Order: sequence, then structure tokens, then C-alpha cells
Amino acid sequence: MADLLVSEDEYLKAGVQIGTQVKTKQMNAFIFKIRSDGLYILDISKTDQRIRTAGKFISRYDPSKVLLVAQRQYAHQPIKKFSEIVGTRAIAGRFIPGILTNPQLPNYVEADLIIINDPVIDQQAMKEAVKIGIPIIALCDVNNRISYVDLVIPTNNKGRKALSLVYYLLAREAMLNYGKIKSYEDFHYKPEDFEAPL
Amino acid sequence: MSQVEFCISCGAGLVEEGSVTFKCPNCGEEVIGRCRHCREMGIKYTCPKCGYEGP
Repeated sequence: MADLLVSEDEYLKAGVQIGTQVKTKQMNAFIFKIRSDGLYILDISKTDQRIRTAGKFISRYDPSKVLLVAQRQYAHQPIKKFSEIVGTRAIAGRFIPGILTNPQLPNYVEADLIIINDPVIDQQAMKEAVKIGIPIIALCDVNNRISYVDLVIPTNNKGRKALSLVYYLLAREAMLNYGKIKSYEDFHYKPEDFEAPL
Repeated sequence: MSQVEFCISCGAGLVEEGSVTFKCPNCGEEVIGRCRHCREMGIKYTCPKCGYEGP
């Protein structure tokens, strides 16, 4: 396999490749195989490539105008850590309707790019991002539809370790592309720092 | 990024709510426009400069 951001073993240990037993047609391009128990397995090389592309994409926007949204509990710590390091904004937990569309709300956010953890769970954020016409990056599992998503990162978006590894890599790539670090060695964080507590 | 007025996949005008323009995620040079319908259906787009295929 071509050089990956972390070793293949680390990806497999975190369970980034694990999909679900249900798949959508739109995610066919990212599926590697189907296991004997019916579980779909994602292609890690495509995940890796998309993380690199997403890192470049994020770095073209002002960090304060990038918004991360995640309602899933295991994604709270990863997105908070990502925001702390890169300087983006994060909404962990309930997404109050109007955050992106109603300027009269006290917690109104003006975003140029949105990163969504799960298109199904974070559908309110998706709706508002579509309404204001900003590009959407989404972490999509095998069972997700990719409607309105402009950049899909195919990954397991449910697992604690998978989420921490993906956000760790994304933060590292974004920092490198922003020019805040010169090489990966300058990034003094570990995937464990992104992990949600049990 | 308002110089692109047409969807890169189907050629429709970007007048409807839900359409978007952004620079190519890969090369960052070409501006890509996507109409609401193509976004909803998850229709592929290709960067004319670097050949990157999304979403």
C-alpha cells in the first residue's frame, strides 16, 4: 500500500475501516469488501487520501470561519481538541436551530466552511449550511447518504478510537497546510489526546 | 467566488438556494460550482485543472 499518514496497523486498530451492515449506493466507491458477517469494510487508502485533501481544503479558509459540528458524544472531545489546536469553532452537542441563519441569536456563527460528523445526526446543521450556501465536509460511514456533501471523508464515524484518529490526522494535515508546523514531528499531540473519555 | 455561474456537472445556472461555489479541494486553483440538484443527488464533479473527482 502507498505511504499512509499513519501505519495501516494503526488505522485497523482504531477501527477506521469498519462500516455497517447497511450501505448506500452513493458510498459504493469507498467500499473495499464485504465481510462474511455482512459488515462492509471501507478502503483505508481512500480515507487517507480524503484526509489529505480535506486538510488542504480547510487550510484555504480562515480558521475562525470554519465550524465543526457533532452531536455524537464520542465526537465531542475530538472536535473540541481540533478547534483548540487549529483555532476553528466547534459546536458539540445540540445544534440550536438558527445558529447559522439567524443573526439575531446571541450564539450566531458566521461560517465559510462546515465540517459535519454525521450527515444523519447533524441534519439541522446540514440544512442551515445548504441554506446559506457554504461548502460541506462530512465524515460519512457506509450507511450515510452524501446529499449536499461537497467532500466526503469515508470513515467509521461512530467509534471512539476511529473518531479520535481521524480528527487527529485532520488537525495535523490542517496545521501543516496552514504552515503552523513544518513537519509532522512538530505536531506534539497524540491520537489519545483526541479520545473521548469512557 | 461569484465568477462561476454554472454547475460544473450539469451546466445549470447557480441561481437556486442550495447551490455552492468553492475552490477545488485538491489544487485550490479552479473554482467549482455545484447546483442544488447535483448536490442533493451526490453527482460527481471533476476539477478541470487537476482532474480531482468529488464529492
